[in-house]
Amino acid sequence: MNFNSRITVICLIILGTMITGVVNADNSQSMAPVTGKVFVSSTTFDPAVFFTGDKGTATYVVTNSNTNTSVMLNHGTFSDGDLQLISDTYDYSHTIGPLQTRPFTFSILADAPEGDYYPTFSLSFYDSNLYHKSLLRIDNTPLELTLVDKPDAFSQGKKKTIYMQVANPRDNDVDTGILEVSGDGITVTPSRIFIGEIASGAKIPVNISVTPDHETTLNLHLTYNNGNNPHEVTRDIPITFGTDKKQADPVMSNVQVTTEGMTYHVTGDVNNAGLDTANTVTVTSLSPAVPQDPYKTFVVGALKADDFGSFEITFETDGNVTSAPVQISFKDIDGNIYTSVQNVTIPATRFSVPKNDGPPLVPIIAGLVIVAVFIGGWYFYLRKKQQ
Amino acid sequence: MVQSLIKILINPGAFFAELKGEEEENLKWPLLIVLLGGIAAAGYGYLFGEVTAKMMEGALPGIGALVTISSAIGALIGVFIFWLIWTVVVFAISMAFKGQGSFKRTLQVIGYGYLPQVIGSIITVIVAFEYIPRIVVPYVTAAMMQDPVAMQGVTTALMHDPAMLEMTQITSIIAMVFLLWSANIWIFGLQKARSLSPMNAALCVGIPVIAYILFMIYNLGVS
Repeated sequence: MNFNSRITVICLIILGTMITGVVNADNSQSMAPVTGKVFVSSTTFDPAVFFTGDKGTATYVVTNSNTNTSVMLNHGTFSDGDLQLISDTYDYSHTIGPLQTRPFTFSILADAPEGDYYPTFSLSFYDSNLYHKSLLRIDNTPLELTLVDKPDAFSQGKKKTIYMQVANPRDNDVDTGILEVSGDGITVTPSRIFIGEIASGAKIPVNISVTPDHETTLNLHLTYNNGNNPHEVTRDIPITFGTDKKQADPVMSNVQVTTEGMTYHVTGDVNNAGLDTANTVTVTSLSPAVPQDPYKTFVVGALKADDFGSFEITFETDGNVTSAPVQISFKDIDGNIYTSVQNVTIPATRFSVPKNDGPPLVPIIAGLVIVAVFIGGWYFYLRKKQQ
Repeated sequence: MVQSLIKILINPGAFFAELKGEEEENLKWPLLIVLLGGIAAAGYGYLFGEVTAKMMEGALPGIGALVTISSAIGALIGVFIFWLIWTVVVFAISMAFKGQGSFKRTLQVIGYGYLPQVIGSIITVIVAFEYIPRIVVPYVTAAMMQDPVAMQGVTTALMHDPAMLEMTQITSIIAMVFLLWSANIWIFGLQKARSLSPMNAALCVGIPVIAYILFMIYNLGVS
């Protein structure tokens, strides 16, 4: 090849290179408006707020807002110095059509202390990269299991109601809430309560009925899911026996006893000296008295505090008693039955033979003395007359 | 006659000694005395009948008036029967002592001698007025009428009521005192009526009277 030929080839190469460079420059200038219209349209974390140690997902939705141009997406990644990616990155190319969206989901482990984090999602185009940061919160605030109200004291075998409340102070909803209640020597109804989803800021009332056999501790165990991560809250409530200061206290007064045949009629009033309402107040007599018709048992009904009602009962005795026990029973709001007994004095001589204290000596002696005086008087009279 | 009645009470010997002629067998005053005693007894019977009527009213409604009136009439008639029986008893005993005299005369003596018991009966009625309202009366139901045990229980309960017991004791003492007072009169009268010595007359009257009083004392003891 002579010199001219060599010059010609070099010129052609230079010319070709120049032509290629001009074309490429034209392409770059023409694709820039296209990739600029590809963006992350939404970011979703599940759960919305993590506990430390929670596993979840981060989903980024990429939108191609170009109306007639497809875009090639390469190498979608999730990166953060504190949060741990536990799934793979998107290493393959994906084409996203005009006006289409494509989600990129990553499994992550929030293995970091409580706080705010800004993980990065990145995508590569053939000529540029897309970087997107969004807020991810780690908050270790648990649900609140609150004791709203409970009786002043419990009694053996008596059912009482405890009023609870489950509240969600977190910024995200939790679900599958279940409250389990247990305790040694205690009967709880219901012992397992499904609460379900608990919205952020929501308060859900929960009532349980407790019947203790002895003093014990009530164990409350609330479980719930934050995303797919189970969490729990426990609480203990001491169950101690004592007297309920507000308990209804029916007291008998104005008691009057009359008799008819072998039957005693007892009438009177029942006053509620307590603070709570006494429901289904009934009055009846106990052994040795034997309740008789027409008023074997008298139902006074409900008595509010300071209220009173009249009653009338009828009964018989074996005739050897001077008092008869009269029982007042009532139910509290939980249906527990309470009883109190008050003795009513009855006429001892009504049907009974009094205790035999021996013959009445005074009238007998008086009678004998009178007879003796009479006989003696006549004896001396006759002797005197004979003399 | 009032003076004679007083004499019967305080000096029966003189009273019977003064009875002469037709008066010796005249039963007018004895009959009146016994009638007075019967009326007093009827008063007591009426009061006690009210207690019985009250007890029975539950079982037999409306029987109250019948029971009360029956009690009063029964007590009235009872006094006359007592007069007759007592005369028979005394007359019979006096026969053992060879007493001589008519039954009518003995009937007259027993009748006069009943005067202290009229006073006793009046006092008894006053006592009854005081005590009977205090008696707690058990009521008898119709069902109890079929149950002898229940009836016995009710009756026993009534008789052992404290007020009833106290009234029974007081009236028994009153009855004893006035019966002995009557006996004193009967002894003097029987001497004349049956021509008996004082000793025999005392025995004729004293035996049944003392026996009756001992029976009353026995009843007080076992009641």
